[in-house]
Amino acid sequence: MIAAIVVTLVHLAFALAITPVLIGVMRTVRARLEGRVGGGVLQPWRDVIKLFAKEPLRAPGSSAVLIWAPLLLMASSLVLCALIPLVSTLSLPGAPGELFVVVSVLLLGTVALAMLGLESGTAFGGMGSSRHMMFTALVEPTVLLSIYALSLPAGTSTLTAIVRARRDDLSTLLNPVSILAIVALIVVVVAETGRLPVDNPSTHLELTMVHEAMILESGGRDLGWLEFGSWLRLTALLGLTVNLAVPWAIASDASATALVIGAAATALKLVVAAALMAAVEVFIAKLRLFRVPELLAGSFVLAFLSVSASYLVF
Amino acid sequence: MNQHLFAQLIATITGVLLLTAILQIWGRSLVRSIGLLSVQGAALAALVLTVGLNAGEPQVWLVTGIVLLMKSVVLPAAMLRSAKLIGETRERPTTINPAVELIGAAGLTLIAYIVGVPLAGPDPDPARQALPVGFSLVLLGFWLLMIRRSAITQLVGFLVLDNGIATVSFLASGGLPLTVELGSSLDVLLVVLILGVLVVRMQRQQGHTDITELKELHD
Amino acid sequence: MAALLWLPLTVPLLLAAVGFAFRASYWTLLLPVISAVVLLLTGVSLIGTVVSSAPVVAIEGWLRVDALSAWMLAVVGAVAVVALWGGAPLRSKASTSIGSFAALLNLFLAAMSLALVADNVGLMWVAIELTTVTTAFLVASGDGEHALEAAWKYVVLGAVGVAIAFLGVALLSAAAMGHSEAGVSWTALMAQAATLDPTMVQLAGALAVLGFATKAGLAPMHSWLPDAHSQAPAPVSGLMSGVLLSVAFSVILRIQAITDAVVGPELMRTLLLTAGLLSLAVAAGLMLTQTDYKRLLAYSSIEHMGLLALGAAVGGELAIAAVLLHILGHGLIKSTMFVIAGRISAATGSHRIEDVHGLLRARPDLGAPFLLGTAGLLGFPPFVTFFTEVAIIVAGFTRGLGWQMAVACALLLVVFAGVTRQVLAMTLGAGTRAPGRLVWWRRVPVWLGLLSAMALSFALWPLSPVLIAAVTALGGAQ
Repeated sequence: MIAAIVVTLVHLAFALAITPVLIGVMRTVRARLEGRVGGGVLQPWRDVIKLFAKEPLRAPGSSAVLIWAPLLLMASSLVLCALIPLVSTLSLPGAPGELFVVVSVLLLGTVALAMLGLESGTAFGGMGSSRHMMFTALVEPTVLLSIYALSLPAGTSTLTAIVRARRDDLSTLLNPVSILAIVALIVVVVAETGRLPVDNPSTHLELTMVHEAMILESGGRDLGWLEFGSWLRLTALLGLTVNLAVPWAIASDASATALVIGAAATALKLVVAAALMAAVEVFIAKLRLFRVPELLAGSFVLAFLSVSASYLVF
Repeated sequence: MNQHLFAQLIATITGVLLLTAILQIWGRSLVRSIGLLSVQGAALAALVLTVGLNAGEPQVWLVTGIVLLMKSVVLPAAMLRSAKLIGETRERPTTINPAVELIGAAGLTLIAYIVGVPLAGPDPDPARQALPVGFSLVLLGFWLLMIRRSAITQLVGFLVLDNGIATVSFLASGGLPLTVELGSSLDVLLVVLILGVLVVRMQRQQGHTDITELKELHD
Repeated sequence: MAALLWLPLTVPLLLAAVGFAFRASYWTLLLPVISAVVLLLTGVSLIGTVVSSAPVVAIEGWLRVDALSAWMLAVVGAVAVVALWGGAPLRSKASTSIGSFAALLNLFLAAMSLALVADNVGLMWVAIELTTVTTAFLVASGDGEHALEAAWKYVVLGAVGVAIAFLGVALLSAAAMGHSEAGVSWTALMAQAATLDPTMVQLAGALAVLGFATKAGLAPMHSWLPDAHSQAPAPVSGLMSGVLLSVAFSVILRIQAITDAVVGPELMRTLLLTAGLLSLAVAAGLMLTQTDYKRLLAYSSIEHMGLLALGAAVGGELAIAAVLLHILGHGLIKSTMFVIAGRISAATGSHRIEDVHGLLRARPDLGAPFLLGTAGLLGFPPFVTFFTEVAIIVAGFTRGLGWQMAVACALLLVVFAGVTRQVLAMTLGAGTRAPGRLVWWRRVPVWLGLLSAMALSFALWPLSPVLIAAVTALGGAQ
């Protein structure tokens, strides 16, 4: 019990510490590849600290949603980080680490964000929210299906158990089921965290914004929570994907060495994955909005195939 | 070869084969599609090597070399050349909804699994167990032939089909004799070259290579 | 005797090289005719050998001629003589690279011979694919404006169909795995039929038949056929319709023999009955309203392939022997008809039926054989097609396929109505004597083809031991 609590705290601390760095790495890689110097790896940290120090401005007549939504997003992201086996596969006894619970927590944050976009009362906010919900509707089934496919060999839908099973039996890592599911998951992570080619995180062009449109009216501390919450989602989802894809060196107990090795390994994997993602982003353009469902349908098909393959063949 | 490693290699290679085929249906870029074809060819060569080494065949390196050269280098290069000659890099827009194309692909893969599983027999070895992947490649190649309009993608579809057949043949029986492999590679190369010439002529005659526009001959 | 087996492969190849070397000369058109004569003579002498003694084998069993292959070789030779001699382009129409055309024709003949004499299933497959490859440019070289479209459809569908057949071949070899060393041969498969894995053979047989049926022009995989056969130059259409379809069909017969031996005749019977009746129906429907006489002939080929499929589905000595004889009769008549059709289109400059009138008056040298050949295609006595069609139908009735045969007869009546209407419109009626009469040696092959198709009817007795030996080579055909 104590060990599990320690692990959960480690997860939270790890996520909080690495998330801004991860974003910083992505921005720096992108900047370097584009021939710019960039703000440095620690710039997101400074941004967030600056935002937290500022008083939020809220439109007159707006409801409490503007106050609660950022906090809800942040809280849901933290729960996500606690539930997902980032560093160790030890989980809190009694805490539901089920695939379905994780997906609902993910959805909670999404809904909070969409409510916020609607509440701001401007045209852009509503537009962003509706687009975001459309993507979510297409993304959630894929997340469920692809992780479900991976859960079949493990015989359980608890994420920690799936990762543990994959780490212990390396032969399941590269069969068709696994390859298809991981590719589907990557697409989903890209869509869910608003990266290219689904959404451009650095745009403020009204016709193409999705994520940015929703948080356009927020400022100060609210914006800080929103940004940090969204980044944490990226860490959680990316962490889940890399740990499913390459589940090496993840700790299975709460001993200090194991945790340090696990944290270092996951950090390395996350940084490499983030750098890769950023490098790929340099070479692709944002998809037209109407072609996004096509992309997501493709990932759904991959996930579907991986489930069927796991039942019929391997 | 260690049986566990063998099973693992077969699973990985067939996974790559299936993934490339799905990506070909997913994408719209001809150049990328041809690139995926090259990856598929390399995976096929790896499959040949794995199956051959496992069975301890003497000519395995030769066959692997032929397959790698033909399917991963020569054929994609020939197609890339045709595509460059007619100056087409992207698929022409279709009337079919892309989601329908993908769902169709999923359905066909399911059918391939349903057909392939009984073939493997009650206690299959890893190679036979992966047979459905070969069948799905065949069906996905067919699907590409049906849903795409550009003559070059038709060629891609044909080659995916051919790769699928080669996959089935290597998984089911460890391949045919060397002479036959050589002959069939040569045949496929000739077919691709001939179709390449016809595509270029078509471009010159009609200014496009949309095969749905080929409907002068009918009853 | 093994040397004899090599002739049909080496002579066309050599002559192809010669033709290519002298590609500017008109006389190179003689080369494919020489190959055809060689094929015919070798076929006939091989028939003599294999009927009286054992099959001829070469290179460790990769090549093997039994009665069926010998018969088919002779058929290819006979039909090719008519098509290539009669269809040779006029000197004024010949292009500057006429020799390449001749060389491709030679290669085409070599590929067909290889498909017939290969005992290894894989090698046979390679040869069948080579027939597509060698004919692709022959079809594309047609003078019609849509030859390119026809060639594209032909190569794509042909290649895909044959690829599916390769899937069947691969599965067959998987079924035979552990039984034979040097690949899979027809002989080995027949010999070990009892030990083959039935599930595998079932799927393999179905796929192989599906694939080769595309090449044989059976419905519903026939859609390339009318296009390719109508756009190709006359000798090519004649060869493709007359023998290429039948060569593919003879492969189907061999697959049927193996599948029947392993899983019983029901599967193949169902497949072939469906394909046969469907082909007849498609042909009958589209011949009624046909406006292009070369397409009319192409659909007639689909009809006859449908009949062959029905015959194979019926099975048994009588039906299969009739099928083999029908292949020859149809080949001779059909290639003659394409030769005449080529001349009609050269004379009138049109493929449309409505543009051709009163052929009997205007060009009796074309009209008379055209009318006569039509009668042969429709199965009128004394053409051999009459006897073979009757034999197939009768065999079907005696083997309990009553309603299918009744449907087939009804469809044949529709074909009769359609063809008669169209051909009478072309040949009868007023017409003014048109100039231009062919020299005697160009008229000989036409009459040779038609008269020998009639003469066959009176040569049934000497032919029967050959046909029976061929049926036996197919394992007696249940």
